[in-house]
Amino acid sequence: MSTTSQKHRNFVSEPMADKPVTALAGIGDRLGHSLTEQGYDKAYVVLGQFLLLRKDSELFCYWLKDVTAANSKQADDCAQCLKDWCDAFL
Amino acid sequence: MASTQLTDEELFSQLKCFGYTPGPVTENTRPVYLKKLKKFREEQQQQQRGKGRVSGTSSSSSTGAPRPVKHDVRRLSSGRRPGLKSSVLGFSSDESDAETPLKRKGLDHMKRPSRSPHLQQQQLKIRAATPLNEANKKQYGVGTALKSNSFPNPDGQTSASLGWETGKRYMHDPESRDEDVSDEEVQNSHPVNGRSAARLNTSKLAGEYSDSDEEEVGGPGGPERDRRSLELRRIYTSGPFASHVDGGGSRIGGKNCALNPLGNRAMAGGREEFEERGKKGDLDASGGLRSHMLPRKPIYLSLGEDHQSKTGENNHINREEGASGSNMASIALRPRYRGSYSPTLSPQGGYSNHSSVPNHAYGPGTQKKKPTAPEDELLLQFKREEQPSSGSFSAHYLSMFLLTAACLFFLLLGLMYIRMRGSGSPAGDGVIKSHPFGSNFDSSYSKTEKDVILKLLLSLHDHLAIVAGHHDCGEQQYASRSLSREQVTQYLLAQDGDFKDFIDVSLEWIIRAGQDVGIRLSGELADDLVMDVSEISWLESTHPRMPFTCRFRRALLTVMNKVLVVAVVVGLVCSVICYVKYRWRREEEETRQMYDMVERIIDVLRTHGEACQENRDLEPYLPIPHVRDSLVQPQDRRKMKKVWERAVKFLSANESRIRTETQQIKGADFMVWRWIQPPLSSDKSKMWQGKAFPLDRRNSPPNSLTPCLKIRNMFDPDMEVGDSWDLAIQEAILEKCSDNDGIVHISVDKNSKEGCVYVKCLSAEHSGKAFKALHGSWFDGKLVTVKYLRLDRYHQRFPQAQGCSAPLKASSLHQTPAPCPLQHGGPNSSGFS
Repeated sequence: MSTTSQKHRNFVSEPMADKPVTALAGIGDRLGHSLTEQGYDKAYVVLGQFLLLRKDSELFCYWLKDVTAANSKQADDCAQCLKDWCDAFL
Repeated sequence: MASTQLTDEELFSQLKCFGYTPGPVTENTRPVYLKKLKKFREEQQQQQRGKGRVSGTSSSSSTGAPRPVKHDVRRLSSGRRPGLKSSVLGFSSDESDAETPLKRKGLDHMKRPSRSPHLQQQQLKIRAATPLNEANKKQYGVGTALKSNSFPNPDGQTSASLGWETGKRYMHDPESRDEDVSDEEVQNSHPVNGRSAARLNTSKLAGEYSDSDEEEVGGPGGPERDRRSLELRRIYTSGPFASHVDGGGSRIGGKNCALNPLGNRAMAGGREEFEERGKKGDLDASGGLRSHMLPRKPIYLSLGEDHQSKTGENNHINREEGASGSNMASIALRPRYRGSYSPTLSPQGGYSNHSSVPNHAYGPGTQKKKPTAPEDELLLQFKREEQPSSGSFSAHYLSMFLLTAACLFFLLLGLMYIRMRGSGSPAGDGVIKSHPFGSNFDSSYSKTEKDVILKLLLSLHDHLAIVAGHHDCGEQQYASRSLSREQVTQYLLAQDGDFKDFIDVSLEWIIRAGQDVGIRLSGELADDLVMDVSEISWLESTHPRMPFTCRFRRALLTVMNKVLVVAVVVGLVCSVICYVKYRWRREEEETRQMYDMVERIIDVLRTHGEACQENRDLEPYLPIPHVRDSLVQPQDRRKMKKVWERAVKFLSANESRIRTETQQIKGADFMVWRWIQPPLSSDKSKMWQGKAFPLDRRNSPPNSLTPCLKIRNMFDPDMEVGDSWDLAIQEAILEKCSDNDGIVHISVDKNSKEGCVYVKCLSAEHSGKAFKALHGSWFDGKLVTVKYLRLDRYHQRFPQAQGCSAPLKASSLHQTPAPCPLQHGGPNSSGFS
């Protein structure tokens, strides 16, 4: 039984549509802001990056930490969230 | 390496080398992949360094990227034997390619075609493995690759095979596979000494294989083949060395692909030599190898050097190699491998007993120049092993030294003790410088007389001392400690005739002497004070001098006794402590068991009490012996008796929910326990008691499938009492899904053993919400599960539900929608899962 946050569950429960990037688990205001600045304003753009990295959580974490000042937990949460979403909807 | 200069394609291919398939390398994924590549390289280095020898082989093979490994395995399985040989051959050619400085023939630069950085590593390994000429490089490379993969034996074989495998890979496909192979090789090529034998075997096999490989590849030709076979033979002996060298080389070169080709060159040099079939060649090759290796690992060179110098062949290389580390290494190695080297040194060392001890392995290996690379690797390994051992040696020596020092100290102590115990005569030997007789003595007699008297006294004293000592030691020779006067006279006369006159005088002086001169005079009866010479009957020494052995023995005994006493005391104390600890542990154990028993009793009583509630026929109490017999196995009853007693006492004293009383059961009085029902409410009302697990994708469908649900385990039809329990259940469900306004039909299947309730919702979305709310919840102590039903089947079963469209509300027990009568359980529960 994984312990997922409410945000995670909310995100994974339905197609992301046009949700902003802050809807991702692990991405709060600060990270969302920095991601938006870099052009990742929507969750699906981040999803695109995740898919580019072949859905590799580890690589995605590297990338996220590189691009933003995310810590390990945030990156892991985000990766896990995207991964679950992909498992459910892709 | 400068990863920033890598182009995207290079990055891509390098990542693939590690068996990882990267996604597209774009501007934003590039840094990520660079990081990953670095990580891979670090891991590789760690693996090579750390695991290396033993476990490396199989694990490395397994850890290698599956893709390349598969490829290798396939190859291996296809042509095991040939592969080996070809790999061997391939290695040699590769090596010669890499070995520029090698003096040997042009083999040095055999062929370094597409040497990509990561290939170098493999090449190194390959070379190390088999110094064969390039012509067969390919074959051998293949063979080795195969070999490495196919051999299940993790030890030497895999190492060797891996080495070959890499060579092969290099030959054929300098790409992905190489990485894996090199990784594996690295692991495998670090065999421990003990495995060299195994490696030998593999190399031997490789040799054999290479022959066949040649054939199948259409090798260079007959003569070359012969040479190759010879080389192979040699190679196999040097196989372990080769693998060692491989490992060493790879270690040397680091994990990055851009390995320095030292090892390769060394190997190539070795190979060349082999091909030359000349000792010179061997030497040169080894020399070349060594020269190449020298800058990196003196050990390698030294090993080769050892061999070479011993074989007495070309020394020029030796000399040049000998320079730096070789001495150190050789020295380090020499004592270790002296035994093994000596046989190997003889140039005619046979290839025999490859399978024997590692020493032998080295022996044949040294035959020909067997690639110094493997030797070097071995050397490296040995050296490494030696280093720690030298450290331990010094520690060992230190401890030995301390031990001997302590022993000596104690010995000295004992000797001193003995001396103290045994000796006692303060008087010196020989000339008596001082005497206790006072100045009168000096004045009374002339010098010579004085000397005589003193000498007499001295001899008397000594004699008596000896007598006393012997007597004390228990020797039968002297039955009594004291000597009679006649005996004394006799003895003294025997000593010196001059004494005759002075005996009485001396005795008189002894009497006159106020202090103890070491002789005690006694009269007829013992302990009489003697005043006059005529009364003297017995002379005894007060300072007995015991023989040395006696003294030693006594001292030893005393020391031992004392030590024994101390030991006994210490032992007693320890035993007392242990006993106390044991008792304490036992106590803990028993207490734990007692609590455990208490808990079990409570459980039994509680269940019984609950059963009694349901079933009014049962007595609400249980006889204590019955409880005991049901909880404790018959064979344990005796053992657990004590625990049981304690549990009973505990319960009667501490447990408030159980009352101990006496009841009559079937005419006999029993001590019984009555479970006093705690004032719990809601035994009738059904309650939702929380969720067992959070719903995530694993235990629930990702999206709701149908609008119909089947809820299981809501009740137990046998246990339900009352008339409208089904209504209560419906109510409970509606309450739970109160936020969900989509439930249009509920049906409780009263007859189902599983406690099924069928629910239909307005839409799939509503049913999904209901699913989330209900699935995995505890209701009335039962875990509720929900699944989706097909709508058509639901309608089949509950035709009245087809018309229901109005949501049900929880608060009211009556159904609002008239057209949907409730209480309509399906007659047959078939058709529904």
